[in-house]
Parts: sequence; C-alpha cells; structure tokens
Amino acid sequence: MSGHSSPVQQGLPSGFEALEPFMAQWCCETSAERMEVRCEADMGEIRSFYDSMIERADEAFDLIERYPIGEMPDDVARLAKLLLGLAQASVAVEIHGQPRAPDTPYPNSIKLIRSTAPFG
Amino acid sequence: MDMTREDFTGRGTFTERFGLDTEVRSLEPYRSREFFELEREKVFDRAWLYMAREEELPEQNSFIVKQLYPRNISVLITRDASGHIQAFHNSCPHRGGIVVREEAGRASRFSCQYHKWTFNNKGSLLGVPDEENFFPSLRKSTCGLKKISTAMWEGWIFVNLMDEPEVTLEEFLGPIKDYLSGMIYLGAHNPVVYTAVLEANWKAASDAFIETYHIPHIHKQTIGSTFAGTINPHSRLISAQPLGPHRTISAFGNTEYAADPNSRVEKLGSKAGEAGNVIAQATLEDAADYLKHPAVNPNRTNHWSMDINQVFPNFHIDTNPGGFLTHQFWPMSENQCFYEVRFYMNEAKHFRERFLQELYIARVGEVVLEDLSNLWWTQRGIESSGTATMHLQDSEVAIRHSLDHVLKWTQSATVKEALA
Repeated sequence: MSGHSSPVQQGLPSGFEALEPFMAQWCCETSAERMEVRCEADMGEIRSFYDSMIERADEAFDLIERYPIGEMPDDVARLAKLLLGLAQASVAVEIHGQPRAPDTPYPNSIKLIRSTAPFG
Repeated sequence: MDMTREDFTGRGTFTERFGLDTEVRSLEPYRSREFFELEREKVFDRAWLYMAREEELPEQNSFIVKQLYPRNISVLITRDASGHIQAFHNSCPHRGGIVVREEAGRASRFSCQYHKWTFNNKGSLLGVPDEENFFPSLRKSTCGLKKISTAMWEGWIFVNLMDEPEVTLEEFLGPIKDYLSGMIYLGAHNPVVYTAVLEANWKAASDAFIETYHIPHIHKQTIGSTFAGTINPHSRLISAQPLGPHRTISAFGNTEYAADPNSRVEKLGSKAGEAGNVIAQATLEDAADYLKHPAVNPNRTNHWSMDINQVFPNFHIDTNPGGFLTHQFWPMSENQCFYEVRFYMNEAKHFRERFLQELYIARVGEVVLEDLSNLWWTQRGIESSGTATMHLQDSEVAIRHSLDHVLKWTQSATVKEALA
C-alpha cells in the first residue's frame, strides 16, 4: 500500500539504489505519517522494508553524518527520512510481531500533533 | 543511597506518612454525572488551571488558542508588545462568535470574521463597522475581549475562571512552588505532543500516570523492564511526599535494564553500543545542572527512573534522567476526557540522536495506546461494577491523596477552606 502522499520522489545517493522501491511507502515528511504508514501496512511489507533497511543502516548513518543535520543534500535527506521509517517499522517487528499493538483499537483518537526537527 | 530487596518487602508506610486513612475509596466520583457537575463547579471553576508554557508565545505579539474543556471555553492567550501575557475569552462581545480561528501565530490585533469587530492584543475593542447604527448601550470601553485571570510561575501559564480569584496562584501552588523552585526545564521550547480523547473519567486517566504498580503488566513489552527489576518486582515507589493539594512521587528504575537483544534498531542508533533508557529523551551532557536539582531523583539513588510532580487538579510535571514531560487530563463528561502529553527535548545535533528520538517517539506512542486501550476497559468496569469501591495499596498513595483533595474541594464552600 502507499496510503500517504509524499512529495519527495526522486533517487537515493549512489550505492543505495536498491532501497528506492521502498520510497513510495516509507520516505515520509513527518513522524505522524511514518506512524500511519506502519499502522496501515501489512506485516510482509513492514518486514521486507525492515530487513532491507537494517542491512544498510550503518552505511546510511555514516553517509548522513558526513553532513551537518540541517544541511543535507536532497538525496541524502531522502535516505535520512527512509531511515527514520525504520524506527516505526521496528515497533511492529521487534515489539508487537504484527503491525499494531494486539487488542488495541485502530483507527483511534491518538494524534501526534507535533514532532521534532528535522523531518518531524 | 543504595536500595535492596528489603526496601521493597513488607507493607510500605507512605500512606501513613501522608496522614491518610487506609479505608477503601468510593468509585462514584469516577462514574457519576452529578459528581462531574459538582467537580466542574467546585474544582475547575475555582482552581488555577495550567494552560501553556511561555515558550509557546516566543515573541512580542505571539498568540495561541487553547480549549478549556470542562466548560468548552475557547481561550485566547496573547503576549503584547511589552511582553505581558494575558488570557481572554476568545468570543466576540458582539454576538459571541469565535474571534481567532488559528491555533497560534503573531498578530497585534484580531478581527472577528463575522462582522469585523476588531480588538488589539490587550483585548481592547478598536473598531466596530457602522458603529453609529448601534444604541447607547454599546460602550466600546466595556466591550473588549473578556479577560480571564492569568498568572505565571517559572514559565508555566495558569488561568482561573473566577472573576476575582479567591487566592493568588502563589498561594494555590503553596509548597509545590518551593519544591520545584529553580527547576531547569530542558528543551522547553520543543515539545513532541500527542493528544487523545480517552473514554474514561479524567481521574481514572490521571490515576494511571501516578502509580507504577500497573507497569509490569500493561506495559510489559514497552517499558516494563525500565520500572521493575529483581529487587523490586512490583515496581513499588521509592519516595512520595504530599505538597498541599499537590504531591510528588518517585518511581523505581531498573539498573539491570539493557536494550533488549532483539532490539537491533535501538543498538543502531547508539553508536558505541551503549545501553539507553527507553524513557529518556535528551542527552545527558545537557542535563548535569538539571540533575543536581533537589527535586530530581530526591533520594539520590541509582534505582531511579522518574519523578511525578502532580499539580492539582489535572496537571503532571514528570522529571526523568533525560529531561521533563507533562501530562494533562481535561474532563469532557463523567466518562470521557481530553489527554495531552508533551515530551520536551532539544533538537538533535547529530542524525543518530535524531534517529533515537524518532524511536522514542514511536515507542511512547505505543505506551499512550496501551493506556488508551486499558482505560477503556477500566471505565467500562467502573461503570458496571457491583463493588462500588476501590482498594488502594501503599504505592497507590498518590491516587488516594489526589482523590481526597478533589473531594475536599467539592465539599468546601470557599477555596481558602479547600486549601486549609
């Protein structure tokens, strides 16, 4: 699924092209969108993103941290946003073993109305 | 101070030291429509109520709009050119429309969109279109935005709905003002904010955040291992103290806590592979002076996770190793409340730090969800209960103290009597 409308759809830095198929779903502008994507994805989608992303995460951090946090080139910023998606994906993979917490309602009234910069 | 298994064995003495009786408490205040009405009138119409941090009004002519849920009052709060902060009813004196529809912004004057009555940010009425067609009963000097009594305490903005508050904010805060005096509020300008409508009485919701007895059960997968450990398996409190109608408690922290070996993502963010505490949102380097404050980890023990400072009636300021967070619970009816939690954190300096913040934000969202879900069941149980009472153990002392003060306010003819 791709339940959100992310405006960012161009490439990742050289060497990370294999992650580009995940961008339509997981390259989000805000924390709230990342949460929504995880809640609405199926477990296969989440696991596939998690497995691919975690494998490249150390290299991605190294590349991203070459730039001051507010001054990343666009392709590096897209990689950073994709990496933030891993935080949400980990809630499903590492904590619940399913997309959302067992025995909890969805949709529900919880709203993340403010996050932190950048990409919050 | 080191703590051992012995400190958490046998019955505790907090309830006794608070001077409270140990009888059961009635559940009626958690389910009765009549009590809700009484509480609105005697508590929320008379107490000083926390509204916002001053950082939400960062400069001259900043404004914000907030909702006072118990009476559905829209509140406009302005900072004028001289820096003065004042709350108003956000309702046009002409025929009552909402004047400011935005949630926040900058403006030195406001126009009601309905008929363009215009006010400055001190509330004075500046202009009325076609004024000459009104009658002598319209006196512009008395038709400004209606003020709501406003007072500040160390960056916290409070309001009071009484036309003439019976006590000052300082008198109302009493001992908690001194207890938290000089606190350093790290990242006060940058909250991460979750809101939710909880299908539970506001006290049932607030109660869930002033005891840690439930944490090993409800939050087993998320934060259970932070708050309980071998020497304190039931997550008993490590300290508790009444502060007038307010109170403070401190929760146990598990020194054995290490990142779950399954948590590969948490390890990624911690470059040196150091264990993090999932409840801490800021880096320790910023926190050295903050951690010296006597109200932060008052026992000075390494078995500490957080302090909960509960400001009567509906506001909590929690301090933990990484900074502070706040909870607020607004009654909407006898079985529904509006909940807002704010996690204050400095902006990340490095991307790995930002990544750990995102992980923290994601996980605390799950904790909020666990509470939302649990409170739904709690309220259904309270409403269907044949046992109309609750049994509170020693580590639930804050619930007992909090409820007793709500009851006292509902039974007191004056605020001075309620505070006596």
